Amino acid sequence: MTDLQSRPVEAHRKEPRGSRPLLVGTSTILVGGLSIVLGIAAMSGGIASVSISWLLPFSGLQFSADSTSGLFLLMNGAVGIAVGTYSIGYYRHSHSGTFSLMMLPLFLLTVIAVLLAGSVTTLLLMWELMAVSSMLLLLTEYRKKEVRDAAQWYGALTQLGFLAILVGTLIMSGGSAGVFSTLAITSHHLSESLRDLVFVLTFIGFGSKAGLVPLHVWLPRAHAEAPGPVSAVMSAVMAAMGIYGIMRVDLELLGHGPRWWGVVALSVGAVSALYGALQASVATDLKRLLGYSTTENMGIVVLAIGMSMLLGGYGQYELAAVALVAGTYQLLAHAAFKTLTFLAAGAVHSATGLRNLDLMGGLAKRLPVTSSMFAVGALGASGLPLGAGFVGEWLLLQSLIHSHFGSSAPLEFAIPVAVGVLALTTGLGTAAVVKAYGVGFLARPRSKGAESATEVGLPMLAGMAVAAVGCLAVAIAPALFNGVLTSLMTVLYRGVSVSPPRLGAILSIPGFAGSTSPILLAGSTVILVVLAQVAISSFGKTNRLPNRDANLWACGNGILGERMQYTATSFAEPLQRVFDNVLKPEVGIEVTHYDESHYLVERVRYSRTIVDSIEDRIYRPVLRGFLWGANLVRVFHSGRISRYLALGAAGLFVVLVVSH
Amino acid sequence: MSASEFTTLLDLVASVLLLSSVIIVWRRDYGAMIKLLAVQGVAVGGIPLVSGIYLKDLQLVVVGMMVILLRGGVLPWVLSRRLADETAGSRETKPLVNTTSALFVTALLVMVGYLVTHPMLRRASTPETRAIPAAFAVILIGVFLLVSRKRALSQGIGFLVMDNGIDAVAFLATLGVPAIIEIGASFDLLLVLAILVILTGRMHAKFKDTDLDALSELRD
Amino acid sequence: MNHIDLIIPVIAPLLAAAISLSVGWRTVTKWANSLAAVTILGTGLLFAFGTRSRHVELFGGLLRSDPLSSLLLIAIGAVGSLVTVSSVDYIERELSVGATDRSDARQYATLVPLFLTTMVLVVLSNNLGLIWIAIEATTITTAFLVGHHRTRLSLEATWKYVVICSFGITLAFLGTVLLYFASVHSGSSPADALNLNTLVRRAGRMDKTVTRLAMGMLLIGFGTKAGLFPFHTWLADAHSQAPAPISGLMSGILLSVAFTVVLRLKVVGDAALGVGYVRNSLLIVGIATLTIAVSLMVSQRDLKRLLAYSSLEQMGFIAVASAAGTELAFVGVLMVIVGNALAKTVLFIASGQLQSIRHSTLLEDLNGVMESSRLLGVSMMIGLVGLVGLPPFALFVGELSIARAMVNANLVLPLLVTLLLLLVGFVSLIRHLGGMLLGPRTADEATWKARPSVYVALTLGLSASLFVGLVGSPFSNLVSSAAAVVAR
Repeated sequence: MTDLQSRPVEAHRKEPRGSRPLLVGTSTILVGGLSIVLGIAAMSGGIASVSISWLLPFSGLQFSADSTSGLFLLMNGAVGIAVGTYSIGYYRHSHSGTFSLMMLPLFLLTVIAVLLAGSVTTLLLMWELMAVSSMLLLLTEYRKKEVRDAAQWYGALTQLGFLAILVGTLIMSGGSAGVFSTLAITSHHLSESLRDLVFVLTFIGFGSKAGLVPLHVWLPRAHAEAPGPVSAVMSAVMAAMGIYGIMRVDLELLGHGPRWWGVVALSVGAVSALYGALQASVATDLKRLLGYSTTENMGIVVLAIGMSMLLGGYGQYELAAVALVAGTYQLLAHAAFKTLTFLAAGAVHSATGLRNLDLMGGLAKRLPVTSSMFAVGALGASGLPLGAGFVGEWLLLQSLIHSHFGSSAPLEFAIPVAVGVLALTTGLGTAAVVKAYGVGFLARPRSKGAESATEVGLPMLAGMAVAAVGCLAVAIAPALFNGVLTSLMTVLYRGVSVSPPRLGAILSIPGFAGSTSPILLAGSTVILVVLAQVAISSFGKTNRLPNRDANLWACGNGILGERMQYTATSFAEPLQRVFDNVLKPEVGIEVTHYDESHYLVERVRYSRTIVDSIEDRIYRPVLRGFLWGANLVRVFHSGRISRYLALGAAGLFVVLVVSH
Repeated sequence: MSASEFTTLLDLVASVLLLSSVIIVWRRDYGAMIKLLAVQGVAVGGIPLVSGIYLKDLQLVVVGMMVILLRGGVLPWVLSRRLADETAGSRETKPLVNTTSALFVTALLVMVGYLVTHPMLRRASTPETRAIPAAFAVILIGVFLLVSRKRALSQGIGFLVMDNGIDAVAFLATLGVPAIIEIGASFDLLLVLAILVILTGRMHAKFKDTDLDALSELRD
Repeated sequence: MNHIDLIIPVIAPLLAAAISLSVGWRTVTKWANSLAAVTILGTGLLFAFGTRSRHVELFGGLLRSDPLSSLLLIAIGAVGSLVTVSSVDYIERELSVGATDRSDARQYATLVPLFLTTMVLVVLSNNLGLIWIAIEATTITTAFLVGHHRTRLSLEATWKYVVICSFGITLAFLGTVLLYFASVHSGSSPADALNLNTLVRRAGRMDKTVTRLAMGMLLIGFGTKAGLFPFHTWLADAHSQAPAPISGLMSGILLSVAFTVVLRLKVVGDAALGVGYVRNSLLIVGIATLTIAVSLMVSQRDLKRLLAYSSLEQMGFIAVASAAGTELAFVGVLMVIVGNALAKTVLFIASGQLQSIRHSTLLEDLNGVMESSRLLGVSMMIGLVGLVGLPPFALFVGELSIARAMVNANLVLPLLVTLLLLLVGFVSLIRHLGGMLLGPRTADEATWKARPSVYVALTLGLSASLFVGLVGSPFSNLVSSAAAVVAR
């Protein structure tokens, strides 16, 4: 909403900046490649533990890798390659300084280091390095106030998260450096209450990175304000690191806990998914919409993890594995389609200078490749069949439907609610991306920027193409990921033998009814479309009427103008009405009268802004409380020396009393 | 000197110490306060002097003389130098508490002094240690002066009363800390007082007043 | 064996002070001061990494050197070198615009090395009485440095500084006297009754009540100079009104030097009274200090006050950390001290640059630093990263070690409270400094260039912090053995 009138970036672009973008892009691709190589090695058990005692004084560094790290390494490597390719083109025209450019490959390196961390202290160091480098990435366009504000929110919440992780993991390791391989055993000797504390703290910490409600407030800001490639890595890679943390610490190292852990994860996931989808469906800023969609998808992933914990707690390991695979698959899908959509949004911004959907329109004609790329990503985000998000959500639904907690009435009640939440989330999410594509790319342009847009350069298109291939692979060939996911199960469910769901040409869950096949669905759809095309063209040939030029029917209103189209705001209006109580939009009606008469209205201005209601209702009061307390202290320090001396004398008096 | 004479002398010294600080609380006139301070300084130095004569310890006698010179002579003199330049009146004008309440608080502080020092008496009950409560009360009275007075010079006086009390405690409890520490500490005290006096002079030149309430611009 | 070399770091700055006093502000003075600081650094390194035994005594145990004192000598020397080098530019510029006259410059150049001497004495003294004298002397030598500018505000700051500090320090003297009483009555000979090692040895036989009273007085008394509650009130005023290099010295190292005295006394207190008394006192005092510091940072408008309160915050933090009492905790404390010393000095030197250009220390007047000078902006940005405890700088290692130690000592609740308060400080710092560095520039001015000596100081300070925080060895070995000196 900030740059309603912003001109295309073209207008004030600098000259191409030599080989630097090429260098940054190539090194990012190389780091991505390194990540993939390491990922493959980790999957095949080819990475030995390494300890470096001379780095990080008093704690030392410890690296190791297993298939969990491998999975994330592969995923992040793929994202890195797509984003690296893209940024060769993107940074050629951006205003970012050299410093923040260099941060992109460095950031990916810190992510690799987080994934390879083999001890608590190493994880903490790398986690914080990742936070620092992502902060610098976010500050690329630091001259804008919105960027600095976003960075502040991000800084505050990421540090809060870090501190929670710090205390949580250190309690788990008993204050030692905490090598993971021994922790998995020793953490079971902690007392129940300490284990609960560890779970709560680490869940908060990692959840803040994943953008879960209510610690999500930084996310839509940061994702909206960062440059396109940065938003892509922040969303696809960094948010996923929050999930990695939950998997690594809460599932693997901490092991089985009481059932309420699962309930907490399930509920937080459900609320995040729903809230994110709802905010996305009413957002008008394209990148903010995508940011909320990250919260939505991470919510779904955590919902799945929570479901898996719960099912595991009831001994239903088969279904627990299904839920976990569902969550992981959703994570992969999210990485693919969110990279693609953010890169496409970045391309749109680069070509038009716009982020506001209400001012776009007609981009499908002007940016044909970018638009179709965005469409592929949007289809993935919708969770519909043929889209990348379908398989994960289908698996999750299966695990929900087949679960049964006969002994626990609240759970028996909660599961149908979760199914409903998932369905509603998918619906709202679909509405959001339909809106984004329909309003932003179809119909006629609503501003000069959109009208004069031209397609972006080859490197950016190539980057998007890489991501699109990823989307397609996730969507129709789940078999590719079968091995990866199976080995993940063996790590996270140590000591329990489960047969994970079979992701082949046909998806099925051993021992339960229900199956689907994305590839057959895709194949049959393609065949149907081709058949229809053939039928139409052959039908058209026989009954051809003469062509005639005429104006489009515009309800008798004359020429069809761009102001008559649906905008993002009007599209979302019914939704806003329905969810009025949750969204609490700020409505302002301003009536201007003619000077001559109070009865004649010159103009009525209606404005409606949707703020993050959680930010308003939770954060503002907390901040006010802090300020109030701080002010008390400030008022006491009045600058009068007699008061200061009296304080000291009071201290002396206390010492006299205490010592006696 | 007999033991009973020694005890009597120490009691006299202790009462002079306490009485002088009570009167300082009572009086508002700087000239009188500084004279009382000199008397008090002599009393503090009297402790090692008397003990030295009683114990026939020459070193203690010398220390006593030096303390008398410093606390009874030099320090009051430094303060009175400042007083000579003071034109805004030679009285403490705005104490935070009025004289009656101040004397009441002083009485309370004397009791606190006795309560706090009780364990030290238990450890070693000699004529010297029996005077410690009085000296401790002097410290607390000094703190009270420091807190309740608002003119720059008064704070200097309060500070000095407090320090006299501490030195008295040191002499009464252990016949003084080792000489090198005593000398170093006295030197520090002299310098701090000199700094305070110089700063008072600067303040006077800058604000034409030494009311410390004017010093509240630095805050958040 | 006679270890007369222990007095080199005391003598060297005294000589420099004598030179400054006699010849005034000349080229030789500038060199002499920097050389004195470098000598302190050098002897510190020599004591720490030299071939001889690390624990030596001189003058019958009046002075001693151990790993902790060597570490602090290094810190004093490092900060002192940065400050004396950047002071040259600072005073030259003030002389050129007439903000300082030649006699004030002479006073400045005399007092700075004297100040260094007093800090070195605090660090090397083994005798509590001598430590007291030296601590009080730091107030004396810095009083006129704080009041260097002779403005109304700096006069106010100086008065508060001298009176509040003297009050607190005098209480510490009372504590010293009481401890002497307890020590002598436990059978120590008067000559070495106040030596720290004697006190530790005799601690078990000292009268508990008297020792408790004495320890209480000593903690709040010496806590005064470390900026701890309830005598923290002088700190922001003095640190903000002093010339920027002096603020760096006071904020960066003086507080920590005073705090290590508290640490050394903690050993005595623990031995005499059991761990509870000092530990609980430190927890209460530390959390109170921390709360006050971050509260005053939240809506701070002045850069130098913000930095001063950040030092207060660090002091409160290490006070809480010291309560854990393990070697790892003190390792963390020392790393925080080192990290804070380097980052704070760099930031104060840089803020002195800013102040000299914009003639203000208000944050709103100092905006757009990055726009005006990329180099200064980036240095300050890195300094900020180092100051708020982010890796890869020394403070991060300190915080990590402290968190580990506190979890280990079952102090999870104080740790959580402390970290939450630190978070408030973190947000305040990135909010205020971030806005100042990155925000748009309102002043209309050309891009400016700072003096090269300032950049040398900034670069050296930041690289030292980076090295200590990332690699550490052999420095980390020194930190470990220094921590072992005060660990139980």
